[in-house]
Amino acid sequence: MNRTSKNKLERREFLARAGKAGLSIAAAGTISYLLYDTTVPRNKVSKSVSLPDFSVEPIKGQAISVIKGSNRVESVNKAIKLIGGIERFVRPGETVVIKPNIAFASPSALGATSSPKLIAEIVRLCYEGKAKRVYVTDNPINDPASCFRLSGIGEAASGAGAKIILPKEKYFSNTTLMGGKLIDNWPVFFEPLAKADKLIGVAVVKDHHRSKASMTMKNWYGLLGGRRNIFHQDINTIIAELAILMKPTLVVLDGTEVMKSNGPTGGSITDLKRENTMIVSCDMVAADSYGCGLLGLKPKDLPYLGKAEKAGAGTTDYHRLKPIFDTAG
Amino acid sequence: MSIIQSRVKGFESVASLCLLGVIVLIGVGVLVKQSDYEMSQFGMDTIVEVLSENNSNIKEKMVFDSLSATGFENLLETEVYDSQTLYEKINGKAPIYLESGFRELVTQRFVIKKDQKLWAELFVYDMGSAKNAYSVYSRQKRTDVKILSGIGFAYESVNALFCAYGQYYIEFIGSSEAKELLEGMREIVQKIRANKAVADVETGVMKLFSSERLIPDSIKLYLNNTFGFEGLTDVFTGQYQIGNDIVTAFLSKRISAEEARKVFQKYHGFLLDNSGVDIPVTDPKMKIVDFYGTIEIVGATGRYVFGVHEAESRQVAEELAGMLSERLNE
Amino acid sequence: MRIITVRRISQVFFFTMFVWFCVVSTVGDNFWQLRGWPVNWFLQLDPLVAIGTILTTHALYAGLLWALTTVILTIICGRFFCGWVCPFGTLHQFTGFLANHKKSAAEKIRLNRYRKAQCIKYFVLIFFLGMAAFPSIATSLQIGLLDPISLVTRSVNLVILPVIDSAFNITSVSSRFYQGAWLILAIFFTTIFSNLVIPRFYCRFICPLGAMFGIIDRFAIWRIGKIRSECNNCKQCEQSCEGGCEPAGNIRISECILCFNCRDNCKDELIAYQTQASLNGEVTNPDISRRGLMLSLASGIFVVPAVRLGNKLGGNWHHKIIRPPGAMAEEEFLGRCIKCGQCMRACPTNVIQPGGIESGLENLWTPVLNNRIGSSGCQLNCVACGQVCPTSAIRPIKLAEKLGTGDFADRGPVRLGTAFLDRNRCLPWAMDKPCIVCQENCPVSPKAIYTREVFNTVRDGKLTVKKTVDKTIETVETIMAEKFATGDYYCIVDGNKRSRITANNENTIEVSENFAKKPIKDSIIEIQVCLQRPYVDIEKCIGCGICEHECPVSGKRAIRVSGEGETRSTNRTLLLKN
Repeated sequence: MNRTSKNKLERREFLARAGKAGLSIAAAGTISYLLYDTTVPRNKVSKSVSLPDFSVEPIKGQAISVIKGSNRVESVNKAIKLIGGIERFVRPGETVVIKPNIAFASPSALGATSSPKLIAEIVRLCYEGKAKRVYVTDNPINDPASCFRLSGIGEAASGAGAKIILPKEKYFSNTTLMGGKLIDNWPVFFEPLAKADKLIGVAVVKDHHRSKASMTMKNWYGLLGGRRNIFHQDINTIIAELAILMKPTLVVLDGTEVMKSNGPTGGSITDLKRENTMIVSCDMVAADSYGCGLLGLKPKDLPYLGKAEKAGAGTTDYHRLKPIFDTAG
Repeated sequence: MSIIQSRVKGFESVASLCLLGVIVLIGVGVLVKQSDYEMSQFGMDTIVEVLSENNSNIKEKMVFDSLSATGFENLLETEVYDSQTLYEKINGKAPIYLESGFRELVTQRFVIKKDQKLWAELFVYDMGSAKNAYSVYSRQKRTDVKILSGIGFAYESVNALFCAYGQYYIEFIGSSEAKELLEGMREIVQKIRANKAVADVETGVMKLFSSERLIPDSIKLYLNNTFGFEGLTDVFTGQYQIGNDIVTAFLSKRISAEEARKVFQKYHGFLLDNSGVDIPVTDPKMKIVDFYGTIEIVGATGRYVFGVHEAESRQVAEELAGMLSERLNE
Repeated sequence: MRIITVRRISQVFFFTMFVWFCVVSTVGDNFWQLRGWPVNWFLQLDPLVAIGTILTTHALYAGLLWALTTVILTIICGRFFCGWVCPFGTLHQFTGFLANHKKSAAEKIRLNRYRKAQCIKYFVLIFFLGMAAFPSIATSLQIGLLDPISLVTRSVNLVILPVIDSAFNITSVSSRFYQGAWLILAIFFTTIFSNLVIPRFYCRFICPLGAMFGIIDRFAIWRIGKIRSECNNCKQCEQSCEGGCEPAGNIRISECILCFNCRDNCKDELIAYQTQASLNGEVTNPDISRRGLMLSLASGIFVVPAVRLGNKLGGNWHHKIIRPPGAMAEEEFLGRCIKCGQCMRACPTNVIQPGGIESGLENLWTPVLNNRIGSSGCQLNCVACGQVCPTSAIRPIKLAEKLGTGDFADRGPVRLGTAFLDRNRCLPWAMDKPCIVCQENCPVSPKAIYTREVFNTVRDGKLTVKKTVDKTIETVETIMAEKFATGDYYCIVDGNKRSRITANNENTIEVSENFAKKPIKDSIIEIQVCLQRPYVDIEKCIGCGICEHECPVSGKRAIRVSGEGETRSTNRTLLLKN
C-alpha cells in the first residue's frame, strides 16, 4: 500500500467520522430544541369527567313502592312491577350497572352487605328486560376480592350472568360537582359508569354512628376513590353531594333485615332485626326518608336528607310521591 | 454392576423413559391434589350462610320479666326445656315437636293477684322457623274453637289460647274458665307480639285453597312424611265440604317445576307400590289411584304438587282436583 | 433417549411447577389460585427445613415428612435434588449456560474445575445448624436466609411476581407491596449474576442444602465414575460439569450433582453411573478441615446469644412486631419461621410484610403486620396465612378459633395486639373535627371502638345577637358562610336547649327548630360542635388494624396497633383477667 492511498483512506475515514459526529450533534441539538421549556413546572391536573344522567322519565304515582314481605326476591319483583315493571327502567340492548353495598369482607348473613340473592334477582330482572350486559361493581372498604367473595355477591351475580368489575387504579377518573364543596376534582370509580346506560343502586338499611343511617345515598360513597375517609369530617355534606352527583335509574333499599346496632359493619346476627320491608324508588331522598323510619329515625334527624332536598335531589316528604304499599310472599 | 454402563441405546432409553414416567406421575399427583380442597380452611367460606336462609333462626330470648297483664303477677322463675328435657314437661306430645325442628320451650306461670287460685301457664315453643311453628300449630288445632282475628294465627278454647307467631308456637293454658284469666292471657300474647317483630309463615300457598266450600281454618301444614310418604314434605292440606262429603285437598310448592314433577311421580309410584290401582285419566298432569276403596289424586303444575286425599267419591275428588289445577294454572 | 434429555425435562418440569406454585398462592378457588395446590411441596421436600426445625422444636412437623423421601433418595442415588429438581439450581444452571456457552472448551474446563473454596458451603451449613442446635445456650432458626428453596420462594413471592403484577395485574387486581423487597432482590440478583463469573456459583460455594446432600450422599449406592482407570485425559468431561467435581480425576462424590454431562461428553464412553467406585479413584468426603468445622460451629453457637444481647425477645421487644393470627409465641415462632414468604403472598389484604432488622437480626423477613400497607389490616374472616405456613410458625387455625366462636368461645378471639389512640393527632380529640372513621370500620361486634359525645364551643364561637326572626339569628360578628351548616354544629342560647344549625351565611345562623325563648338583641349565643370522640375498649379490641389502615390522618396514624395484648404470649399481656 502506498502512501497516497493510505492518506486517502485516512481522509475518507476522517470524513466519515466527522459526518457521524455532525449528525450526533445535530440530533442532540434538535432534541434539546424540541423539549426546551421555559415555563415553571406546575402540578398536573388530571382531566375531569362528568357523570351521565341515568334517570328515567318520571311517571306520576309510580315513583316509589314499599313492599312488606320476608322474601327479598318476591318483594323486589313486586316492588319493581308496581312502579312500572323492569321494562320501564331497562330497555332492550342496554348496559346496566348495579352498585350494591359490598363494603365489607363479611358473610352475607351478617347483613353488612347486600343480599346476594337480591343482587342475583336484580341481575336476572335486568336480563329479563333484555339488557345487553349487566355489571356489578363496588369499591369496597376491605379487600375488594375478599369482599366480593365473602359477601357471596361475586358468585351470585356472576351466576346470574353479570360481570364483576373490581376496582383498579386506572378505573378511576376525577370528577367535579358543579356548585359542590367537597367533590372537587375527586376520583370516582368511573370505568363501570362509562359503560352504562342505566344505573341501579342497591343498599341495605344500616345503623351508622357518624351519619346515623347508611342507606341508598350513603351507598354511593362506594364509588368514591382516593382518600375518601377525610370526608367523614363533613359526612352530611358529602352524602348530600353524592345524592346530587349521582342520577341513578333506580334505587333499591333493602330493609328485610335491618342492621339496628353496631353499624355499618355489624358482625353479629344479633345486630340485625327483621323489618321485612323492600323499598324501590326513583327518588333516593324519598327512599331514605322512608327507610330511616326502620331505624326509628325521622327524616329531620338526618341533616343530609334536608341538604339533598334543598339541592333538589329529591323529596323527604315521600307521601307526596304517593308511595305504593303492598305485601309480597 | 453398572446401570448405565455404556451407550447401549436401548438400556439408556428404558431408564430415561422410566424417569419420565415418574415425572408424569408426580404431575398427575399434583393435579389430583389441587382439586381436593375446602375453601373454609382459609376462613373464606361464607359459613353463616346457612343461618341466613332461615333468618328467623336468630336466637333472641323471650323477655318474660316485663311480660304481665293488669292484675297479674309472675309466679316462679321461667323454666327452660331443650330437646333432651322436653319429655319431662309434656311427655306424650313431645314427638310432634321434636320432629318439627323444636329448639327450646320456655314456660312461665302467671297468677291473678286477687285470687291466687286462678293462674295460667304460658308455653313458648321456639320451633326454629315460622314454617315449623305453623305446622305444629295447625296440626294440633282442636275443633270447636274460637278463631281470634287480628293476632295472626290464633284461636281460643274455653280456658286456653293458642297461637303461631313467627318461629314461636305459643300455648297459654288457664286453670279455669274464668273470664279475667282469658283476658289476661290475650293481653300477654299481644305484648309478646308487640315486643318482637318476626317473619310469619308465608301464606301464599294457603291462599290457593280459598273457596266457599273450604271448611274455615282447616288448613294444616305437614313438614314431612305426609300421608305416610317420606318424600312428601312441606304439604299444606285443606278440607272441603262438597255436598255431604268432607274431602282433603293438598298442595305443596317445590323448588322447581322439575322437582315438583319428580315428587308427583314418586308419590304416584308409592301409591301403586302399596297396592293402589291406577284409574285411567286423560289429563297427563294428574293421576287417579284407587287406594283400598278411596280415591287418591296427585298431580303437578308448575312448581306445585297438588292432589286429593282419601276421597269417597271419584267425581267429588276430580272436581276438587280440577279446581286446584285450574287455580294453579292462573 | 439420552439421560441428559430427561434431566433437562425434569428441571424444566420442576422449575415450572415451582413458579406455578408461587403464582397460585393467592386465596381463591380459581384453578390459578390456592384451592388444593400443594404449594409448600418444595419447602417440604427440603431436608434442611426439616432438620432445622427438628433441631429447634424437636419434632418433624406434618408435611415436612416429605423431606425423608429426599434424604432416602439422596442416600441411594446421590445429589439428584440439585441436578434434577431444585428450581434455584435450574435457574443457576440456565443463567450459567447463557453466560458461558460461547466460551472455548478450554475456558469452560477452567471455569468448571474444582475449587478449594467449594468447602465454604459446608461451613455455612454448620454455622446455621450450630445456631439452631443447642437449646441449653439459645437456638435460632436462621437457615431460611440462605436455604435455596426458602430463598427462591421468598424472591419470587415478594419481588418477582409483585413486580410483574404491578405492571400487568395478572394474579392480583391491585398492586402488591413488600417493604424492604430491595434487599431480597439484591441478594437474588447477586446469586444469579455470580453465574457470570463461575457457573452455579451459589450451588458450588454457598448452598447449605447442597452441602447437606454432600455430607449424606457419601454412602450413595450409585455414583458417577470411570469404568477404566486410565484415559487420554482430554478433560472433555469437565467441560460442562455442573458440580465442579473433577470427573476426569478423582471424582468428588460430595460435589457431584448428577448432571450426567460428563458421561455424555466422554467420547470414549468411559464414564458411567454405577455401584462400584470410580476405577480412577474417588473422594467421598467433603473437603473440610477439622479446624474450619470447629470454627464455624463455635461461631454459630456463639452468635445466637450475641444477637440476643439486644434483649429483643425480652423487655426490649419492639411494639411493632405484630404477628399474623395463629403465630406461635415469639421464641417458638423464630424457631420455626424459615422466612419463605408464603404467608405474605397468600395474605389477601397484603398486610403481612417481611420484617426488617429494627427488632433484631432474627426478625429479618419474618412476617410482620404493617397496617399502613395493603387493602385493610388483618381481615376478620380469613386464616389463609396459617394454612400455607410450611412449618407451623403460624398455626393452621380454623376461623372459629380466630374469632373465638363455637368450641373456642370460652377462650375469646385471637388478639394480634391492641389499638391505641393518639389523641394528639386524632381529629375529634385534637382538632375539634368530627370523624370516627375508625369506629365505623371496627369489625367486631360490639365494636371495640366506641365514642363519647361532647359539645365544644368553637374558636371565636361566642357571637352577639343583632336580631332574631323565627329560626334565624342575625349576628353582629361576621362569620364564614356555610361553615356551621354541616349538621355537626349547634347553637346554644341562654334558656334554650341546644339547636342544630341548618344554614349560615356571613351574618345569619338558621337553626332547625323554633326557639322556646327568642334570643334578644345583644345577648350572646355560643356555637358548639358536636364531637363523637373515639375510645378503645381494650377488652374488645383484637388488634386487627383495620382502624389504623382507615385512619384519615395518613402520615402517622392517629390510631395505631401495637403488640401489647397479643394472645400468643403472656408476657405482653396488658389486660388483667376478670
